[in-house]
Amino acid sequence: MKKALVLALALVMAMALIPGAFAQKKLTVWCWDPTFNIYSMKQAAAVYNKAHADVNIEIVDMAQDIEAKIISGLQAGGAGLPDIALFQDFRIEQFEQDYPKAFVDLKAAGVDFSKFAPYKVGPMTVGKAVYGIPFDTGSTGLWLRTDYIKAAGLNPDSYYGKNLKWSDVIKLGETVKAKTGKPLLAYQSDNFDMLRIVVQSTGGQFFNADGSLNLRSDAFKKSLELFKTLNDKGLLYPVVGWSDWVNAINTDQSAGFLNAIWMVGTVKSRPENKGKYMVIPTPLIEGVKGAANASNNGGSSWYVFSNSPNKALAVDFLKSVWATTTPDTLAFYNTILKDAGAMGTYLPSQSGSNYTAPDEFFYKSQSLSKDFAAWMAKVPTLKYTPNYVPMRDAVAHATLNYFQGKLKTIDETIAAAEAEYKQVMGQ
Amino acid sequence: MEKRGIYQRYLNRFGWLCVAPSIVLFCAFMLYPILSSLYYVTRRWKGMSNTFIGLGNFARMAKDNVFQNAIGHNFLFMFIQVPLMIFLALVLAVLLNQGIRRFRGPVRLAIFLPAITSLVVVSVLFRVLLQANGMLNNLLLEAHLISTPIGWLNDSGWAKVTIILAMTWRWTGYNMVFFLVGMQSIDTEIYEAAEVDGASKIRQFFRITMPLLAPVILFSAVTSTSGTMQLFDEPNILTWQGGPANATMTAALYIYRQAFFINADFGYATAMSYIVVLISGVFAIVQMRLLGDRRSK
Repeated sequence: MKKALVLALALVMAMALIPGAFAQKKLTVWCWDPTFNIYSMKQAAAVYNKAHADVNIEIVDMAQDIEAKIISGLQAGGAGLPDIALFQDFRIEQFEQDYPKAFVDLKAAGVDFSKFAPYKVGPMTVGKAVYGIPFDTGSTGLWLRTDYIKAAGLNPDSYYGKNLKWSDVIKLGETVKAKTGKPLLAYQSDNFDMLRIVVQSTGGQFFNADGSLNLRSDAFKKSLELFKTLNDKGLLYPVVGWSDWVNAINTDQSAGFLNAIWMVGTVKSRPENKGKYMVIPTPLIEGVKGAANASNNGGSSWYVFSNSPNKALAVDFLKSVWATTTPDTLAFYNTILKDAGAMGTYLPSQSGSNYTAPDEFFYKSQSLSKDFAAWMAKVPTLKYTPNYVPMRDAVAHATLNYFQGKLKTIDETIAAAEAEYKQVMGQ
Repeated sequence: MEKRGIYQRYLNRFGWLCVAPSIVLFCAFMLYPILSSLYYVTRRWKGMSNTFIGLGNFARMAKDNVFQNAIGHNFLFMFIQVPLMIFLALVLAVLLNQGIRRFRGPVRLAIFLPAITSLVVVSVLFRVLLQANGMLNNLLLEAHLISTPIGWLNDSGWAKVTIILAMTWRWTGYNMVFFLVGMQSIDTEIYEAAEVDGASKIRQFFRITMPLLAPVILFSAVTSTSGTMQLFDEPNILTWQGGPANATMTAALYIYRQAFFINADFGYATAMSYIVVLISGVFAIVQMRLLGDRRSK
């Protein structure tokens, strides 16, 4: 009896030890959106696991403050960081400046960057080193609710696929507002994104070539003027914060919004939206040279931390799924495009069937991806610099104060933004 | 004699052993940060690199309106919210102590509950309630109390009101519990004597309850004041990163943003926290003087 007990105990202990001896190789990835980049990374992990069943890729949802967590980790010399993280493209120049050598040089690791969209590779390049794997594009369009346009007595087809000017859009917005009571655009009033979309469409820059602030351009002034007009005519539905903005869109508070392709997942998450939305090219600002009916907002990329103990494995995973052409990887890019609206910037993937397929979820089964891809080719490049975040916040704050009447003129608004930027930067 | 010496030495050693873990933790997480802050505060930090700038961080603060306004918001919240909350907590405590006889337990729990609820959950609910088309605005519109929706989260003035309401909602019950315990420890004979002498309830409250409660009120005032100086959660989550347009930016939130969000400038962040500590300290001393004197009368 006793012997049996001892034997059983020994067995239990041995079994507890065995998994330790044959431990799976594990990679940890930080990203933040379950319907978008988390979904995409899960698909990528599945592709990698086909050939490497022993690798366990754990994807962690860092919805709150992912960048602050990365900064604390980098400051602590890499402690507490995952192997791979996703963050916005406008952050990389800041991280490169503040934490040189924080990320693995993927060009040295053999990734062919000529196969990625050049505007994505630019910010992550320092000298000969390239630090990330580009993920998605933020090609933008004007999302419009055809049911409200119809309710206003207008024909959506006279706007469908058209390159509009902002003056046309304002006329459309006024009619829709008068007839249906719906403001044309849901607008995050504390947020810089929409202003950025408009300024970038003009080819304007927020920084000069030497990195100093450049808010006194014609493009910026014209964009602010446009925003003030939209605001004063009641064509914006203002909300604070991202979740309230998404909520406003999915509770029919506005007749549309201006944002990027990655909103597909959010719009599709509500079945009632089916057949209602159409997306037309980003409207044009008149009277600015070099303006295009295209712009960009957001877009992020994958990075491997140099302090990761599994960096060789992490690099191999990113390289073989995200930057190699095989039937499996092409199918993967094709899937995430359809299901999540994640349009990769890996150029060989753009031959996938879903890039041209009609999408029955949208008005007249619009081939959404095809349109966004075509606009992406026309997007003027935006220079981020390491100081994009303080600039973004300062401009957003001044713009809101302008809307609320605390700042009276465009010049005052620009001066306020410049002052806050200087103070926050300690210049 | 000798034996006792050994025993004492053993006791001493055992005593040190018992407090060793807390001393180690204190040194690692209190003493070391405080000492190293003396080094940080003289430097301009930028991620992995830093340069000596002497008192430059304090000169920078003198020019930084965002920081100065943030301190101003802290003061505003403190001067309005702390007295309001302590008054409400006192009223509630008196009601619970004397007025309400039935359901005292559930009511006390309901009032205390906000203090132990996760702020993230609360903020999500508050945001739903306070949106332009949220429940609160809809109710007020239905009742014809307002004609246009109030920008609880959108307007720079109303956002401050929102923060004050949210803080009051969250901490009134917490302070009320202290007052309640304090009131229950006051001897009922004193009240009976006052009753015999013909003192009204209100007179009893001001002449007996308030003076005897002074140490508890002092404790609440000091902790609430330093809590308000460190206010972070509400403006970060409820009004979204100190928004709209920095209207609810507080010192603690700005310190956090300078260090972990915008500039990775830990030197400047340290210098600003020195100022916050200084202000909290001054207020604590003032409050102790004011309420302490009253107690000795």
